[in-house]
Amino acid sequence: MERLFFPKERLFDFFNFVNEEYCLYLPVRIEGRQIVCDYNFNLPSADYILKKYSLLKKEDFEFNPYRTIEPLKSFLNYPKEIVCEYFSKELTIQDKKIAIFGVKNCDLFSLKIQDFVFLQGDYTDPLYKKRRENLFIISSDCLSFKEVCFCLAYDINPYPESGFDLNFSSLDEGFLVEVGSDKAKALLEKKGFLFEKIPSRLNTELLSKRENITTQLKEHIKSHALPKKEVLKEIINKGYNSKLWQEEMFNCVECGGCNFICDTCHCFLLSESGSETVFKKIRSWDSCQYANFAKEAGGANPLNTRAKRLRNRFLKKFDFFIDNLGLPACCGCGRCIETCPAKIDIRKILKSLYEESLSAN
Amino acid sequence: MKNPYQPIEAIIEDIILETPNIKTFVLRPKEYIEFQTGQFVEFGLAGVGEAPFTPSSNPNVKEKIELTIMKVGRLTNKLHILEKGTIATLRGPYGKGYPLDEFKGKDILIVGGGVGLAPLRSLIYALLAHPQDYKNIIIRYGARTPQDLLYKKEILAWSNFKNVNLVTTVDTADNSWKGNVGVVTTILKDLPLNIKNAVAIVCGPPIMMKFTTLKLLELRFSPESIYLSMERNMSCGLGKCGHCRIGKYYVCRDGPVFRYEEIMNIADIWG
Repeated sequence: MERLFFPKERLFDFFNFVNEEYCLYLPVRIEGRQIVCDYNFNLPSADYILKKYSLLKKEDFEFNPYRTIEPLKSFLNYPKEIVCEYFSKELTIQDKKIAIFGVKNCDLFSLKIQDFVFLQGDYTDPLYKKRRENLFIISSDCLSFKEVCFCLAYDINPYPESGFDLNFSSLDEGFLVEVGSDKAKALLEKKGFLFEKIPSRLNTELLSKRENITTQLKEHIKSHALPKKEVLKEIINKGYNSKLWQEEMFNCVECGGCNFICDTCHCFLLSESGSETVFKKIRSWDSCQYANFAKEAGGANPLNTRAKRLRNRFLKKFDFFIDNLGLPACCGCGRCIETCPAKIDIRKILKSLYEESLSAN
Repeated sequence: MKNPYQPIEAIIEDIILETPNIKTFVLRPKEYIEFQTGQFVEFGLAGVGEAPFTPSSNPNVKEKIELTIMKVGRLTNKLHILEKGTIATLRGPYGKGYPLDEFKGKDILIVGGGVGLAPLRSLIYALLAHPQDYKNIIIRYGARTPQDLLYKKEILAWSNFKNVNLVTTVDTADNSWKGNVGVVTTILKDLPLNIKNAVAIVCGPPIMMKFTTLKLLELRFSPESIYLSMERNMSCGLGKCGHCRIGKYYVCRDGPVFRYEEIMNIADIWG
């Protein structure tokens, strides 16, 4: 793939010209919760959210060292939206081109799950398809990580290698930019950026930075003793009747936060609204932790307890998706851990299931 | 690009009262909907909602679709107070239906429970369109009481076919009832079929399907020769919304008809 280098001071030139073609979103720092860490790393407490570049002051921007709060899926399917107006009207899909700066590799992994759901199979979702085509992804290497980050447990690296339009690696003198798509290449050429041979010292710096973050993150997740992705399917099924589901669920308040903030969760519910002449189908994000998620007409409910619903979340992620796509539907972003008011921790559940499966052997 | 969420209009041409709480809606869709027997459609009312139903009509009839619907919930309560001429909504067909090719040259056992006879009526129409393609067609049907029995006229007509063997039963009889009394598994004996070259197709409430399946296995039907219509909450019908998962399947995408063999190792399949 083609690469180029540009110095830090040219970053805003870059933002300006991207913003001419796309509505650009940039990460903005907000103060997060104080992180108490047991692992000898000085972990950052700040959080990042994405804001429209056009509404920002220059000093608001900060190169986000790790993922933002919001999952990437929220740019592709909105929490609640009209998917169809009938009978006579054609659905108008807003043709808005969006660029996002600071997407991390966990988000890129999750995009594979969302693409599979909404683009593959017998039916393609027209809204998702349009927005996906209009999305320009500018990803970047992680410079540090949050306490909840565990992407490496699934062999997802804290730096992107594919799936982006452009990827930014932050080096001492500036940014090493990797081009990942034809449309990105065309855009850069149009704006007069030149692709040059990258000096080997920059390559060395890139490799050493990537190795450094990987080593630190590896050390960090070691204490969680997470099972390898190869055994996930097995331990989830072995642990089907584990007491763990019940124990963990005692504190669940069924807020659905874990589902909504999850980068890979995709479930939705269709509902109706409308007047005498035009009717609308509304699609809303749904949560499998809600009591009525699986309730059938007549009252039967295969997921009638919180424990069954928690187990359902894990079966969907680590059984269904591994069978259907060959990938677990978890990217290790840790957003669900941060969000849960009951402190239900996916890492702890996976670790416990793994230990139970070992002792059962 | 076609919007898969977009329903078409369907005029309710006729409404047939089948039992005190089951009606058959005869629909004429604005565009032809060609379905294979066993596939389902999303049927509903604009501004109210939609739900999955498997047509109970002959799949070879293109211009009309019939849905036999029991009054059980929010939407079906509204459907049951509709009058002829109402415009309803229709999407589909979705899912995989009965694999008629796999049934050819075999004895066919059809076991229905309650309103579960609705999809099976569509299947029976499809089979009886070419009765010579199959050996014996054995129909066993159970309902709660005599007045809950569906399609009384059709049942008489089917019995007149040379290779059809049909027996009904009710859980609870009244004075007028001269037939069998007992759940449907009690009439699964002395079946005129060759188990080694037979298939069984079961549709009914989950508890009925469970015990029927156990009975069929006891009779030495193999798990791959038993076809079940699975029921889960479905919202989109498109394999996207995530509600109807069982194991690695979505009922809307991979079913609603499954061979027992495909799902027998999934925990809690009966709901």
